[in-house]
Amino acid sequence: MMTPIPGSGPPTSAAMRAAAEKACARIAPTWPLDRFIAVNPFWSCTDKPLPRLAASLAALSGARLLVSRAWYAQEWRDGRLRPEHLREAIAESGSGATEDQLTALFWIPESTTPRRPLAVDVMDARFNRELEVSWRDFIVERVSRFCGAYFDDGQAQIGPVKKGGLYASWREGAKGDRGPSLFMGMTGYRAIAATLPSTADEMMVLAGTELGVPSQELENYLWALLLDVNGWASWCAYLRWTARLDGSDDDNIVELLAIRLAWEWIALRAGGEDLKPEWQQAMASWPLLDRAAHESRVNDWILQRAAEIAWSSKVRTQIPAGFDAAPIAAPTAQVAFCIDVRSEVYRRALEAQSADIQTMGCAGFFGMPIEYAPLSAEAARPQLPGLLAPKYRVTDTGVADGLEGKRSARLRAGQAWKAFKSTALSSFAFVDAMGLFFAADVFGESFGRKSRHTAEHESAGLSPLENSTRTPRITSTVGGVTLSVDERCQLAESMLRTMSLTRGFAPIVALVGHGASTRNNPYAAGLDCGACCGQPGEVNARAAAALLNDGEVRAGLAARGLDVPATTKFIGGVHNTTTDDVVLFDEAAIATSHANELAALRASLAKASAVTRRERAPKLGLGAMSDAQLRAAVIERSLNWAEIRPEWGLTGNASFIVGPRERTRHMNLAGRAFLHDYSAEDDKDASVLEAIMMGPMVVTHWINFQYYASTVDNRRYGSGNKVLHNVVGGHIGVFEGNGGDLRIGLSFQSLHDGDRWMHAPIRLSVFIEAPRAAIEGILEKHIKLRELVENQWLHLFQIDVGSRTVSMRRNGVWVERSPD
Amino acid sequence: MDHRDVLQLAPLILASLIPSILLVSNVFVSERNPFRVPAFVTALTAGLAGLAVTLQAVVTLLGYPAREGRLYALVQLDVVSSAMLILVCTLAVVVVRYSRTYLAGEGGLDRYARSLLSTIASVTVLVISNHLGSLIAGWIAAGIFLHQLLVFYRTRRQAVIVAHKKFLLGRVADLCFFGSLALMSTEVGSLRIDVLNEYAERSTGLLSPPLQLATVLLVLGVLLKTAQLPFHGWMLQVMEAPTPVSALLHAGVVNIGGFVMIRLAPLMSRAPVAQDVLLGVGLVTALVGSLVMMTRMSIKLVLAWSTIAQMGFMLVQCGLGVWHLALLHLLAHSFYKAHSFLTSGNVVETWRGTSLVHAHKSLWTTFVAVIVMGTIAAGLYLGTQRLALHVEPALRALALALILSFVPMIAKAVAAGPRAVGRVVLYTLGATIAYFAGHQAFETLIPSMVQGPALELRWWLVLGGLVALFLVQTALQLSPNGWLARFLQPYVHSGLYLDDWFTRVTFRLWPPQLDRAAALRPSDFTRPSRESRTS
Repeated sequence: MMTPIPGSGPPTSAAMRAAAEKACARIAPTWPLDRFIAVNPFWSCTDKPLPRLAASLAALSGARLLVSRAWYAQEWRDGRLRPEHLREAIAESGSGATEDQLTALFWIPESTTPRRPLAVDVMDARFNRELEVSWRDFIVERVSRFCGAYFDDGQAQIGPVKKGGLYASWREGAKGDRGPSLFMGMTGYRAIAATLPSTADEMMVLAGTELGVPSQELENYLWALLLDVNGWASWCAYLRWTARLDGSDDDNIVELLAIRLAWEWIALRAGGEDLKPEWQQAMASWPLLDRAAHESRVNDWILQRAAEIAWSSKVRTQIPAGFDAAPIAAPTAQVAFCIDVRSEVYRRALEAQSADIQTMGCAGFFGMPIEYAPLSAEAARPQLPGLLAPKYRVTDTGVADGLEGKRSARLRAGQAWKAFKSTALSSFAFVDAMGLFFAADVFGESFGRKSRHTAEHESAGLSPLENSTRTPRITSTVGGVTLSVDERCQLAESMLRTMSLTRGFAPIVALVGHGASTRNNPYAAGLDCGACCGQPGEVNARAAAALLNDGEVRAGLAARGLDVPATTKFIGGVHNTTTDDVVLFDEAAIATSHANELAALRASLAKASAVTRRERAPKLGLGAMSDAQLRAAVIERSLNWAEIRPEWGLTGNASFIVGPRERTRHMNLAGRAFLHDYSAEDDKDASVLEAIMMGPMVVTHWINFQYYASTVDNRRYGSGNKVLHNVVGGHIGVFEGNGGDLRIGLSFQSLHDGDRWMHAPIRLSVFIEAPRAAIEGILEKHIKLRELVENQWLHLFQIDVGSRTVSMRRNGVWVERSPD
Repeated sequence: MDHRDVLQLAPLILASLIPSILLVSNVFVSERNPFRVPAFVTALTAGLAGLAVTLQAVVTLLGYPAREGRLYALVQLDVVSSAMLILVCTLAVVVVRYSRTYLAGEGGLDRYARSLLSTIASVTVLVISNHLGSLIAGWIAAGIFLHQLLVFYRTRRQAVIVAHKKFLLGRVADLCFFGSLALMSTEVGSLRIDVLNEYAERSTGLLSPPLQLATVLLVLGVLLKTAQLPFHGWMLQVMEAPTPVSALLHAGVVNIGGFVMIRLAPLMSRAPVAQDVLLGVGLVTALVGSLVMMTRMSIKLVLAWSTIAQMGFMLVQCGLGVWHLALLHLLAHSFYKAHSFLTSGNVVETWRGTSLVHAHKSLWTTFVAVIVMGTIAAGLYLGTQRLALHVEPALRALALALILSFVPMIAKAVAAGPRAVGRVVLYTLGATIAYFAGHQAFETLIPSMVQGPALELRWWLVLGGLVALFLVQTALQLSPNGWLARFLQPYVHSGLYLDDWFTRVTFRLWPPQLDRAAALRPSDFTRPSRESRTS
């Protein structure tokens, strides 16, 4: 009847476990909303080139990793995508495609890619449920609802019985679940569920045996199951990621896989003997479906590449004009910003105010590997990229005695009040007693929003005056040990060297972090920072400035060959990316010695803010108005509870440029480039470059791919329609609407203005001004970086001032492109 | 026509202008700027409502005698209607203003704006109606227009399935209403609300059996439309509509059932069977709903279960005959829930604030809280006994419920230490004052509503239910892995499977008309027209 599939036969427990671990390793983590970090959702798949991965994912989950052809057509019509880009892309691909074949794609609708059927799909097809809730949707819903209740952290007041871990807890609930029989009409469900094995491992072996998936397909099959509940799988991957960063481990993701696999097993059992041959046939179709997926969009990838060339060639041809530019000889002020693309606009505006203001770019945590324990907080939060673990602790100093206890009591009383508000019985009395007072809140929010402050959590339990006394400083290591002078000098030195700020200090050096201010926005942290665990940079900037102003540290720096003049003072600040205002902190310390410099800087900043707002205004739909009106308008947006697009965040990001600012100072990069200062001369052993490529470059790639993936497949890698968002578990993530899988990535509204995509989904082009040998050495050393470059997850360019060229790394060699 | 006539007619004319303006403005909604007209019109009608209510208050204070006439037969503006009119009109302003910013960039907003205006118009019609016919017509129309808002995202399967469910319930409710109205009309000879109420007040003893049946049918319709168990499922699933639609539904539409009961208070007070049904279903819904609310982990579902429970509680108050409390609850809940929905994006921010410190919970602090509050309760009881004060059973029950309500808050404060306790004592006092002040205010506002002592048995039943709820919630919170938790978990987490069962049965009888093509497509991310135009 049917030829036996090679490699079938019951898998052993070890084989099953190994396949499961491999499948689980394919899922990238997603951070909770309060620490929302941009992540490349394919971070664990960079061992494959993107087009190949795209085909695999299309076959496994139906994912689309290319934007619709209409987008390329629009780029073409707008004149951004031109024939020379197509020619270059075709040449690069080495395929026989013609320009006409590519432009013809504009008129051919995308074919839907076939997805590998799972056992539940076979069940759906067999029982003809297309006019009702499908089994697939039902199972995602059930698994998601359970995971939500299990992982809930602060929303529900009564959780499920959690004994024995994720699988055991699910099994306990599944055995008594009447939903499948009542709602879906699966009559034998309870009898089948009663025989569910007691551990995840046993479940996997049982399902593996009965489903009979060929061993060479096992990993992909399990991967497809995880992709079916990708949101929660990503959450479990996050739990594992953070556990491993702490040196422990977490197995929830494997148990989640066992749960989803159990549903396959239940479907197969419930389907009876008739379903089995059909399932066999479905499995036999997999290789064919894979092939179809691999062949379907080959030419689209050339088009995609052409769109990327269109952007990168623009940058590439503009850079040489900066080859002869000299650094500013004696700057009156140096202002360091985060590499964030939003800083590019602001830096340009600030530089335009005075030829003597030097701006710099570095990772916005200013090299401070810190965690921050706000006043009275019981736990510290990381204030650095998610790739790193914190070493030092920052706390609030300078507050009045007893404020810590006061705040703690206020916060706890607030929690008690919440119990009155939301416990079952109390909620009735609460509404009777307090409900009418909410009328004032409703109208206050609707009309009088000026008085509202947006970051409630920062100031919770503190009056504005008390809040203003907080002075964040590094006070100890993570373990609570006081830092030695040597450690502090070490920290200060590495920070300055990473910024390539080792000489030519201006009298005033401002370190400006950034943060956003939005109201009623679950994704507020994502706008604060896409990298540093979703935290604004104020704390880092202030702590770093204080460290660098310290007398002992200055002496230590001098001993390490870093001569910071005594007349140079550092100051911390924060750039509000929603309103584009910049605020400086701790001014009192230098107010007398540097009064003039400070006043001049503040004036320049105010002007730069106005210029920046004007540049951004059209994208926000703000028309002609005066500077003051414009400022009022953006502030109003930042306080408006209904504002769903307070700012455009990092949309449009497309390049990362590592080198001295002189090379790019003449360019208008339109807020699309991350800029990191780097001087190869001062970095003979390339250790700083290595840190930049391992840190900021990976972070910018993560941001770039979060935007990319959310744009090309918002259903799987984006969080959908913000209008329907429904926050899960207090801070874990969102559902779109009533339920479904946990959503990851960015919302549709963060990428699209209703008429068009605000983000162009193109891969990052990285430009580095450093010797080729240095770059190659680093790629050689770090396999992950090599994968990113060789598998074209980003495009790497080298800027060489000596030979006046910008060349691209392609298939392991440098392709020289002399400036035309 | 003297100035008295003018003064007496003016508020009614103004009030009837409100729905007319809202309806007519539909025509002027433009596709390019869909919220400009609604923003203007809702502001205008809110102003008119304020003016009408003020004038009516003046008329009432001057004590003019009641009049007859065609307009008086159709429109009235007593305290209950005035309060509800102000509520609906001001909510409309907020919801329109919110939608304008929130939905910017969506396609099909002119359709949205029109449905919104029509829904609000229909609700205002029923609010100012003095005739059950126009009241029910307004109610049905509100349901139909709201349906358009709920399926704003037409291609979302969930949205369509839910709207179908709601549609079915709506039609069954309509049948109940028609039956009820037919019976009332034949028995009393009029469907004017004031006539019906007067008839009830004049009649000695209980209503006639046909009228009893009419009230029971009316109550059934109310239960269906007020998301009471087991007809509550749609309420949970309408999260497939934009947030401001949820706010409008929860604050201004789902509570209409309570409003209708309060409007017909004199009639309902003489219909013990109907009241028993209200009380029974309402109580079960309140208890189950509030318990299920505590298990929900997504903010909008917490809010939805909360509304279901609060509506149950409001109907319990109707069943007990404490109409003034029901009105207070209706209004207070509206503002509270509108605020909760419109700020539902803020939960992460709130979470970050409160999670700076971790809450402790332990058995002993709950015991301490119970003992403290128990002592206070006993003290109050003995005090009133010694002073031989007459305390109504209603007040006694309310006081006990309030005392139990404070236990979780006090338990948390005790765990947190003396400073927090100090603050929480102030909170407790403040909330107590607000609670009884609210009751007192509404009692003076609508004294005619206060009925004689209701059946003591009903009060005991409600009180018993609330105490049981307290015991169960405490047991589940303190011992999440205990035997009670293990036994109750599957039921509570699934909402007693009532909706699963209900959906299965109704869809067997009448399957939803899903677009076959749309259904076969994977439930992809789809939006109304605008996107298809661009991508």
